[in-house]
Amino acid sequence: MSTDIARMRNIGISAHIDSGKTTLTERVLFYCKKIHKIHEVKGKDGVGATMDSMDLERERGITITSATTNVEWADHSINIIDTPGHVDFTIEVERSLRVLDSAILVLCSVGGVQSQTITVDRQLRRYNVPFIAFVNKLDRVGANPFKVREQIADKLGHNAVLMQVPIGLESAFRGLIDLVTMKALYFDGPEGEDIRVEEIPAELAAEAAEKREEMLDAVSMHSEALMEAILEGRPTEDLVRAAVRRGVVARKLVPVFVGSAYRNKGIQPLLDAVVHYLPNPSEVENRAIDLDQDGADRVLTDDTSAKTVALAFKLEDGAYGQLTYIRIYQGSLRKGDELVNTRSGQKIKVGRLVRMHADAMAEIQEAGSGDIVALFGVECASGDTFCSPGLNLAMTAIYVPEPVISLAIEPVDKNAADRMAKALHRFTKEDPTFRTHVDPESNETIIQGMGELHLDVYIERMKREYRAEVKTGMPQVAYREAISQKVDFDYTHKKQTGGSGQYARVIGRLEPLAKGAYEFSNEVKGGRIPREFIPSCEKGFKAVMKKGQLIGFPVIGVRVVLTDGQDHPVDSSDIAFQTAAQGAFRQVYAMAKPQILEPVMKVSVEGPTEFAGSVFATISQRRGTIVSSVEDGTYSRVDAEVPLSEMFGYSMVLRSLTQGKAEFTMEFLKYGRVPPYIAELLAEQHLEKKKKESQK
Amino acid sequence: MTLTVKEELIKRSPLRILEKSISGGLGKGNIGVLASRKGVGKTACLVHIAADKLLQDKPIIHVSFASRVDHIITWYEDIFKEIAKKPKMKSALDTFDELIRKRVIMNFKQDGARTEQVLRSLEAMIVHANFRAETVIVDGLDFTQAGPEDLRKFKDFAGRLGLEVWFSASLKKDDPLFDGQGIPFELIGYLGVVDVIISLKHHGDHVHFSLVKDHDRLTPKDLRLKLDPTTLLIAKDIRARAR
Repeated sequence: MSTDIARMRNIGISAHIDSGKTTLTERVLFYCKKIHKIHEVKGKDGVGATMDSMDLERERGITITSATTNVEWADHSINIIDTPGHVDFTIEVERSLRVLDSAILVLCSVGGVQSQTITVDRQLRRYNVPFIAFVNKLDRVGANPFKVREQIADKLGHNAVLMQVPIGLESAFRGLIDLVTMKALYFDGPEGEDIRVEEIPAELAAEAAEKREEMLDAVSMHSEALMEAILEGRPTEDLVRAAVRRGVVARKLVPVFVGSAYRNKGIQPLLDAVVHYLPNPSEVENRAIDLDQDGADRVLTDDTSAKTVALAFKLEDGAYGQLTYIRIYQGSLRKGDELVNTRSGQKIKVGRLVRMHADAMAEIQEAGSGDIVALFGVECASGDTFCSPGLNLAMTAIYVPEPVISLAIEPVDKNAADRMAKALHRFTKEDPTFRTHVDPESNETIIQGMGELHLDVYIERMKREYRAEVKTGMPQVAYREAISQKVDFDYTHKKQTGGSGQYARVIGRLEPLAKGAYEFSNEVKGGRIPREFIPSCEKGFKAVMKKGQLIGFPVIGVRVVLTDGQDHPVDSSDIAFQTAAQGAFRQVYAMAKPQILEPVMKVSVEGPTEFAGSVFATISQRRGTIVSSVEDGTYSRVDAEVPLSEMFGYSMVLRSLTQGKAEFTMEFLKYGRVPPYIAELLAEQHLEKKKKESQK
Repeated sequence: MTLTVKEELIKRSPLRILEKSISGGLGKGNIGVLASRKGVGKTACLVHIAADKLLQDKPIIHVSFASRVDHIITWYEDIFKEIAKKPKMKSALDTFDELIRKRVIMNFKQDGARTEQVLRSLEAMIVHANFRAETVIVDGLDFTQAGPEDLRKFKDFAGRLGLEVWFSASLKKDDPLFDGQGIPFELIGYLGVVDVIISLKHHGDHVHFSLVKDHDRLTPKDLRLKLDPTTLLIAKDIRARAR
């Protein structure tokens, strides 16, 4: 195993659902001799692809948690993270992008750039991740890698250039022409393991020459040496590769490779491309936040002898016990090392150190910067940073969106209750977008997440992995309340019931805040409210905003300005000012014209054009706004904004409407105002619920 | 009665001049064409026409044949930003999100999209999805590929659903582009089906508009409008008045 950082790659494989990403990963493992037999996703042999280690993933044919795995190719050590394709799980995608240095973007040669490709591309851009593209499924009817390359250029705005030309397409797809070596490659043997290199077939010579010309044109922009060599008519393979690499690392060039993972064609050249063109960890600049220096930016060094900085990016509770996936950014990790979790301040000792391959693992003694490994028995949460004692750094916090949907769950019996508690504890540690709490009023356990499927998967996992059977309620949208008008308050809290009394007066105003949930501004002059009670006021406002008076959901978008007040030398206290603040808010809330807000999702529906009309109708029936519809021949996409509350069960409706030929993705977009008739309905329901509870 | 800022803006819009010049507007069931060389500003004008309708709470459909829709979305954002720069308009345009709800962009790939298919999708949007647009703007239809018979289909469709449809036509032939009456040579074959033709021409440092067909009239007329080169909004041409 190479520990030379130049021979290390940390790559992700990102794609739209159903682009064949898991199949591709499976082939990669096979050719790198990590597995000895190829299993298909949803395969007949009942085993399923190796990377989908969870039963559930096998059953549904989707990848949910991103198992990381290490392979060797051409004397390089490659860590691969198989990322989930469904938008409900983008936290996993985002987390892996934070950890990886580069990626392979997999596209379907028929579907091309699809809605989720655009999402993934945006994520790659946000984390500045260089990537190469792989156009898969060349054996499919309608395959057109040339069109897909055009789409990468047009729709995603990348300088995309074909590095290979297919020999035949669809059922006639036989092999490919490498435009760097100008040789034809065929993949023989039952699993495509024997590569036969031949001269380019005569009928494709002209096309290959033309495409090579195009490739050299684009690539030579990244190397003067290559440009000169081309002018002299002698561009060498090494010069071309160096130029491509430079373009890729700078994110100015996207080389496009082609093949069919399912037919075992084109995978080995793709692995060569990973080695040739994708950056090693030392070529990527990583930054951390210095917690001792007020959050100052610190550039990390890949020096293995420097103090250690590592990020725990994923927890798993599997067959081997608690496993923490960790990426080393600086220094190295050795068995017995002492590290500090900079979030909790807790010290840990590195016990067993392993390198993971989907379901199997290999014990190792040490790992250097740039590497991804797993630790056993470390208590932490996803996103925690570990440093050598003396360093106090945090890797940039990974953006965690607020959950938009919740569900009440109830264990069927006492045993299930214990197991459920255990499962919930685990899930919330693994996934920061999955949350749970007990509602103090109804005493129900509530789980919260990013979408219907997100919660479904956890309910299923509870059942399978923890044997915790639960009953579920109706999914509940995470509404918010917000004020729409400025309003003044002047409220006195006075209580005299023998003993020491309570007295506090607060004066000020509430203002709508366009961006952000809450702001507090203290403009009290002359100590009318003693300084020590200002935080008490703020605490009071914050507490009262947790439950709005309209429908009992949190109030957001409020700026509280405290301008004046009054205290009493004896009767004023922390609690008195808190109570006054709460009273003030409750008193004027209705005058601030509060409104109910609901999560609005960005929805993309893709499918055959013949169904576009029906799709339009389903969107408008759901109070949705169609932003655009794009028709590209027989294929079309509708982008819309639809309230989440209207999207329950949409996958079923869409499936039956389009005979399963259309699919959709959605992600949280914004909070939008609920129309008045629905607001009334929600308020009524809230009143009824309160009435019932008071009767109990 | 005093007008709200929005009403004031609608009333004072230079587009009222355009409407007045073409007998009160394009009218339901009618086809209008903005014609010029590429890059003169047809899309800007179409988006301004659409934005004006949106301000009046009238839904519109924007049909385009571009490769990306995000450019079009940016056009609208820019135009509303320009409008919002006018005094007092800022607060009135806080409802930008609301305005945009009344706009649907429908994008078609030029090479694959036949007129029948475009009309089928439009009908699905208006009838099935109940998006009751009265104005459709069609940007980037290739008039060298689509013939007068295609425009006839659009006109029949517009008549059936009570729509007014504005097109942009890119003039591609060599000079001269226009005949003695100011009618673009390339559009002469369309005179029977098109109700209004406006041509855009560079005139010194700005672009100005002439009306070459107004429903039944074929007398060229200066519209006293120009395209402001910095805002890309249609504006009154003061110089024209002075002439």
